[in-house]
Amino acid sequence: MGAGMELNAIRRDGTQFPVEISLSPLVTNEGTLVSASIRDITERRKSEKTLSQLASIVEYSDDAIISKDLDGMITSWNRGAEKIFGYTLDEVKGKHISILIPEGLDSEEGMFMRKVQGGEHIDHYESVRTRKDKVKIDVSISLSPLKDRAGNVTGISKIVRDISLQKRAEEKFKGLLESAPDSIVIVNKNGTIELINIQTEKLFGYPRSELLGKSIDILLPDRYKRNHGHNVEGYFSNPKVRSMGKGLELFARKVDGTEFPVEISLSPLRTEYGIWVSAAIRDVTDRKVFEQALFEANRLKSEFLANMSHELRTPLNGIIGFSELLIDKKVGPLNDRQEEYLGDILNSGTHLLRLINDVLDLSKIESGKLELGIETFFARAAIEEVCSVVHSIAEKKRIRIATNITPHMKEVSIDKHKFKQILYNLLSNAIKFTHEGGNVSIEVENTGNEWFSVKVKDTGIGMTVEGMQKLFTPFVQLDSGIARKQDGTGLGLVLTKKFVELHNGSIRVESEVNKGSVFTIQLPVHIAHEMKKNETPNSGR
Amino acid sequence: MKPRILVVDDNAVNLKLAGDLLELDGFDVSRAIDAESVRDLIQQVTPDLILMDVALPGMDGLTLTRILKGDDATKMIKIVALTAFAMKGDQEKILAAGCDGYIAKPIDTRKFSDTVKGFL
Repeated sequence: MGAGMELNAIRRDGTQFPVEISLSPLVTNEGTLVSASIRDITERRKSEKTLSQLASIVEYSDDAIISKDLDGMITSWNRGAEKIFGYTLDEVKGKHISILIPEGLDSEEGMFMRKVQGGEHIDHYESVRTRKDKVKIDVSISLSPLKDRAGNVTGISKIVRDISLQKRAEEKFKGLLESAPDSIVIVNKNGTIELINIQTEKLFGYPRSELLGKSIDILLPDRYKRNHGHNVEGYFSNPKVRSMGKGLELFARKVDGTEFPVEISLSPLRTEYGIWVSAAIRDVTDRKVFEQALFEANRLKSEFLANMSHELRTPLNGIIGFSELLIDKKVGPLNDRQEEYLGDILNSGTHLLRLINDVLDLSKIESGKLELGIETFFARAAIEEVCSVVHSIAEKKRIRIATNITPHMKEVSIDKHKFKQILYNLLSNAIKFTHEGGNVSIEVENTGNEWFSVKVKDTGIGMTVEGMQKLFTPFVQLDSGIARKQDGTGLGLVLTKKFVELHNGSIRVESEVNKGSVFTIQLPVHIAHEMKKNETPNSGR
Repeated sequence: MKPRILVVDDNAVNLKLAGDLLELDGFDVSRAIDAESVRDLIQQVTPDLILMDVALPGMDGLTLTRILKGDDATKMIKIVALTAFAMKGDQEKILAAGCDGYIAKPIDTRKFSDTVKGFL
């Protein structure tokens, strides 16, 4: 049956098994018989199968798997090698491995050879190799000795991985890192510095080599060190992009021990070694100095305005006082002309006084110094008080003021003085811009439990959309035939809006030319006491 | 008997305005331009009320008020501050110094005399 033929045999139970049968003639007295030697080769088949599987894994691996003999001649070359280097097996078999090695790196092979012959393995050695088309690629090389049964090294197997893409991504990342305007420090889970950029060297004054592998503590003032490990742990338990120590003043420490204020934002960085954290550190010394200067300048401005206001009021006291005294004829009779001119002096004086007061208010608001004086009162009472003040000017123009206050309106707790100023500004505007015989109305209603609204409507000249946009700009008065320019300070609505906003309220205007305007303000029924003070600019964040 | 008012103001025009106004409304008015002349004047005649300008050259109005209110011989004199109310916290400072009240400048000539009467 032919030497070494492999066949299947059948057992008594019907199962088959591979056998190798050799037949040989056996000459006996009874003639020539056939002797069959049957060998069960089940085990051998199995190991053969494993070998062929291994061979196919090697063959189809994406990595180049190459073997060479001790002289450096290529002995095997898989498809991965074909793909990476561009040579087919036929092209390289028996060729020296140096065809893959770029000039200048020739010594590498010798080094590999020595190490591997000494029984060593080499893992993930990063280097450069040349493809068939002369293009150089970044590779990671692992080498191990090939041994015969006796344990003698007969060659070297080599797994080569193309890491060009990875290298390019790394370079891009490093490029980004280096081009960032902030200092960037990348730290692992243990708080050890893994990577920094050049800005870090500049900012902290350490050379790169003195930071890499060190604990991040090296960059912290001593007083932070105790807690920092704990904070790092805390961050890794919920790693996401955020700024460090929100609302806290943070300081970092330079190589010479000096501290400086910083702002730090953290973001997790997924790496092959697990999650790291990237900290972008910004030196905010200049900003702090600037903020301080700004704060100081603002304080000086407010002080200047307060002083100026005082100085301006002193002579006004005389101008307004004496013209009032004369116009009231306390010191004797006046002819009509004298009375008229004195009236002009008085009007100009009071106008100037209003301007000074408004500017002072505005500057107080802007410097955060205007405080709300909360009182509890009935809105109806305040509205009636204001109406009685504007009543005389309305009457002169035969304008009727209607009030419609919801009976459900309870007491309010807001700044009564400011509330009246708001109403006065809106009502006097409504009267000013309404023709003789027109109508002005005030409507007050609850809008939900926490808020109420006041609507001031007029049947006046109204305004264009463009006009409405300019309405809350300081010193911009809309052009109108009716209102004489000197009637207003140009700050009334600006202040009104600010007063409303100090109460966390809002103001809205609807208007149509020649039909009239509606100003609607929304105010809280109660303003919480902690909101009453408009925060002063903080030197912190 | 006319109420005796001592008006203190370093600004001549304002001093004249307040003084003349009160005189026109029937008060017996004397005038001073600084703390020193106030102390000289009250040695001679004790006023019922002093209208005290806060910002005076030399000793300021509030310091003078503190001294007068701390002296048994003068503490019964009513002191009303005249203030431009420009500075934050002025009100508190005025009352803390011992003033019986304050009148804001510029004064309202139509109400001034009545306001002053209210403090007597």
